[in-house]
Amino acid sequence: MSINAPLPDADVIIVGCGPAGMAAAVTLAEAGRSVIVLDMQPAPGGQIFRSLEANLCDTSPAGQSLLAALGPAYRAGADLIRRFRAFSGACPGIDYRPQTTVWEVRPDGTVGWLQGMNAGYVRGRQVLLAHGAMERPVPFPGWTLPGVMTAGAVQTLLKAGHLKPSGRIVLAGTGPLLLLLANQLHQLGVKPALVGRTDRLSDSVRAARHLRPGGLVPLVKGLGWLGRLKLAGVKSVTGLENLAAHGTQNVESVSFTVGGKRQTLPCDLLIVHDGIVPAIDIPNAAGLRLQWDGPNASWRPATTPDGLGASTLPPEMSAGPCVLRVTGDARRIGGADAAMAHGRVAAQAILAALDHGAGPSADALRAVGKALSVRPFLDAAFPPGLAQALPDDDTIVCRCEELTAGELREKIRSGFRNMDALRGETRCGMGPCQGRSCMVTAARLLQNETRAAGCPPTFRGRPPIRPIPLGAVATLSGLDPRATIRLTLEDKPENASEDTVDAPAE
Amino acid sequence: MNESVTRPAFAHSPGLQPGPKMFSDLAPLTDAVTLSVDGQPVRARAGETVAACLLRAGVPYNRLTPVSGAPRLPYCMIGHCFECLVEIDGIGNRQACLTLVRDGMKVRRQDGAPPALEPSVP
Ligand SMILES: Cc1cc2nc3c(=O)[nH]c(=O)nc-3n(C[C@H](O)[C@H](O)[C@H](O)COP(=O)(O)OP(=O)(O)OC[C@H]3O[C@@H](n4cnc5c(N)ncnc54)[C@H](O)[C@@H]3O)c2cc1C
Ligand code: FES
Repeated sequence: MSINAPLPDADVIIVGCGPAGMAAAVTLAEAGRSVIVLDMQPAPGGQIFRSLEANLCDTSPAGQSLLAALGPAYRAGADLIRRFRAFSGACPGIDYRPQTTVWEVRPDGTVGWLQGMNAGYVRGRQVLLAHGAMERPVPFPGWTLPGVMTAGAVQTLLKAGHLKPSGRIVLAGTGPLLLLLANQLHQLGVKPALVGRTDRLSDSVRAARHLRPGGLVPLVKGLGWLGRLKLAGVKSVTGLENLAAHGTQNVESVSFTVGGKRQTLPCDLLIVHDGIVPAIDIPNAAGLRLQWDGPNASWRPATTPDGLGASTLPPEMSAGPCVLRVTGDARRIGGADAAMAHGRVAAQAILAALDHGAGPSADALRAVGKALSVRPFLDAAFPPGLAQALPDDDTIVCRCEELTAGELREKIRSGFRNMDALRGETRCGMGPCQGRSCMVTAARLLQNETRAAGCPPTFRGRPPIRPIPLGAVATLSGLDPRATIRLTLEDKPENASEDTVDAPAE
Repeated sequence: MNESVTRPAFAHSPGLQPGPKMFSDLAPLTDAVTLSVDGQPVRARAGETVAACLLRAGVPYNRLTPVSGAPRLPYCMIGHCFECLVEIDGIGNRQACLTLVRDGMKVRRQDGAPPALEPSVP
């Protein structure tokens, strides 16, 4: 750290309070380190343990049946959350800041945050990115219609909104989460009209050779889910292709092809899921090197086994060595057990970096390997389906700016042959979501049109990666007074031109 | 098919024309707070997000896109897609799926780009 740099606010800043972030925070706090944990959710838990604390307190019959439907894997987070809470407010301990959105992370350990109408920076000697995964974007005809939602969205509404879907429901896609949700719905008395899977029996057969002893429990669990759905008479198909949603103001029907035959079903709610992928918004904007995971058709940050990222920024752009580590599903999809195991590994590596400790224990590393050993099987059994083929010309790719695959193809053919030129020309990726939903499709279209191979290119990530209200920019706090940062506000949808402001800190 | 087909084009009607009911409560609302959505009172479960409240109320959209005026509802519910943008207490482009309801909160659905986001805030 250079002499002029402000003092760090904590030894470690952790982005994300899911299983990975909590496991790391507890390990660091136990070792006497000060930790700041930033998370945009209102309570600890991340995706899998969302609203767990509140739901455990709910003793009503409806609350109890919800807990039963969500199953033991959900309740399993209670102990970790309790340990996390025990360190919150202690000194030194965990300074937990919920409802706080991170909009910038720099390789030198500076993190930009937004809470309501306040924004600022905090600095950590080390930073751990535990911001999790997102569902794979699935551009298909009609996917922007009201009435199309992701499986994760419906699960979130169950856990945090106590709302269950009603009406004519179709689930389409692939992956454990889709089957998990179908089961949870079934247990709550919701009967979908169809569970349409894109995976096929041949995928399972191919996957079988990847089966390791560690994979038997998930396998038995999955077969149990399928069996229960079958018993309940839920209609199910495999090998679903060419999904489309139809309607003018909302979904009215869905159509798809199975075994060469086109079918149409009336539908009020289409729930889609095509597996989850690491969220790369923060790593990409922080300038971390990304790599392409072919079988999963997704990017992930290139890291050492203990999570250390590699900065691609030229040295003059950062003040010292890269102190960013990535853990949990943000690093590599592995589910909650792998996330907790790796959170501990990353924390041990951070402790070593802070005071030259021994680094990750063999025990902790083994736990990661064990938890990840089921992945090759799951990856082969549930290959990307809805997003496997590139979308037709008429299908919207960029939801924010409503750009179709055809429009992007045409621009690429007319000479906009790199991601940033394409973004500048079309505004693809410039809307409020900053490319989270469109980037992977745009990159694949570009590679396809230019016959390029290798790791697909990304948009250059630019802070703020999440919009900051102007009022909050004006009150930005926590930076060295001598330092000035340049914020680009071109992500604001109402700004047709690129608008930048110089934001001197308090 | 059902009444959703014959529903008037709500782009021009400021009221809360109900869309097809996609979600229902696990249990009747106790512990409710009241917020206003486009001036009309809507009940919500304390501790839930504005997006959950809008979906329970069955609003047909929370925003009309700036480009084509197409209706949108929350899509991901975890803060990634930004489909759930609404105006909350005068500030536009707030993510409804990340914002908790509060008694007396004023929510407005967005028609195109939100006026509240123009650089009027200091
Ligand atoms: C929508 C969804 C639902 C899922 N449901 C299940 C399930 O029911 N069961 C299951 O086994 N697995 C589920 N998963 C898989 C899940 O990824 C893992 O089980 C596990 O939760 C991963 O843990 P993690 O700590 O790596 O990340 P997460 O649990 O995802 O935690 C990351 C946290 O970081 C926060 N965050 C992200 N970006 C920012 C930012 N910019 N600023 C501030 N905070 C941020 C998020 O709000 C989140 O709380 C789900 C995944 C998704 C995407
Ligand atoms: S619904 Fe996707 S960001 Fe709110």
